[in-house]
Amino acid sequence: MDFLVFIPLFRTVEFTPMANHSEASFEKMPMWAGGRSPFNVSYGKLMMWIFLLSDAFTFSSLLVQYGAQRFSNIESQVTTKWPDPASIFNHFPFIHGIHLPLLFVSVMTFILILSSVTMVLAVEAGHRNSKKEVQKYMLYTIVGGAAFLGCQAWEWSTFIHEGARLWGNTFGITEQGYKHLSEVAFGDHFHWEEGDRTNGPVPFAALFFIVTGFHGFHVFSGVVINVVVYIMTVRGVFERRGHYEMIEKAGLYWHFVDLVWVFVFTFFYLI
Amino acid sequence: MEFYTKPGEYDPINYVPHTESHGTKELWKTFWILLGITLLDFIIYFALGPSGYRNFIFIFFGIVKAYYIVGAFMHLKHEKINLALIILVPTIFILGLIMGLLYEGNALSMIK
Repeated sequence: MDFLVFIPLFRTVEFTPMANHSEASFEKMPMWAGGRSPFNVSYGKLMMWIFLLSDAFTFSSLLVQYGAQRFSNIESQVTTKWPDPASIFNHFPFIHGIHLPLLFVSVMTFILILSSVTMVLAVEAGHRNSKKEVQKYMLYTIVGGAAFLGCQAWEWSTFIHEGARLWGNTFGITEQGYKHLSEVAFGDHFHWEEGDRTNGPVPFAALFFIVTGFHGFHVFSGVVINVVVYIMTVRGVFERRGHYEMIEKAGLYWHFVDLVWVFVFTFFYLI
Repeated sequence: MEFYTKPGEYDPINYVPHTESHGTKELWKTFWILLGITLLDFIIYFALGPSGYRNFIFIFFGIVKAYYIVGAFMHLKHEKINLALIILVPTIFILGLIMGLLYEGNALSMIK
């Protein structure tokens, strides 16, 4: 991988033992007899798909754990009922004290979907071998990813500021708290009062940090991959190679990250 | 390091099939569909109270969004059906696992 090193164009002799089939006879080779790809994708892209499948298993196991924990949670003297996420996540940057449930996380979803669109536009531009457009759209995607990370960081810091920790939190809403919440509508002024909240179920904050943290780590690594691929595009590596397949592979990873966010958003905030 | 094959040689590791551009129309259409469904999510959240029906709608919308992201953005709709099945069949098993464990989680809450 020649990320940042300029490699002069040179031709080498292919030495894999079975590479003696012509490009034309590739189509004539039997599909499942080995020696060729049985799909219409390259080796690297197929491996990326399989990696994404394995990553999907990992995220599924986390989300299933969340589902099992949440639906088995009962009230006790130590903790109260599992809080309704919309009552907890009702904040918005620069707008203090207004009850805006779900709004900020919807904005985050929109940012990530938009960055997915710019990514797929970069892939499409790569199909037409248009270097300028690939650069432009990759840059938009990187900006979108960084914006999402910033939003997630703000969400985390607000949550921690309100008392959420991996080992405990104060989001157990008491009866008084539920009464207070039932009087508040979307867009009203809202402040938690004394006695509204007590110790909440530990997995609530712990799972939030673990799952969104794991996803945020994927977004971060996706942004890093996009930056590397962007630099490679600018340096003309793909232009010389003759195809922009690396953009497609990075695109697959980025869309996977977006897809996982759709499910995290559904399970953590909506259900 | 890259290996360039001479004309007439096929390199199974570095071979990249020639791809055509499908145009941006379908992609923008998919964007508007995804945006619309997210807005629907937002509206339905406040319109319906917490209930099993609402949860079912949200999960259904999630699967619809997954279909569009994986099919259009990740291009799986245009690939060979075999590749699509490699992704889809294990996913169906995961869905079964999710449903089973939600049921068990609920049962666990009764026993606790």
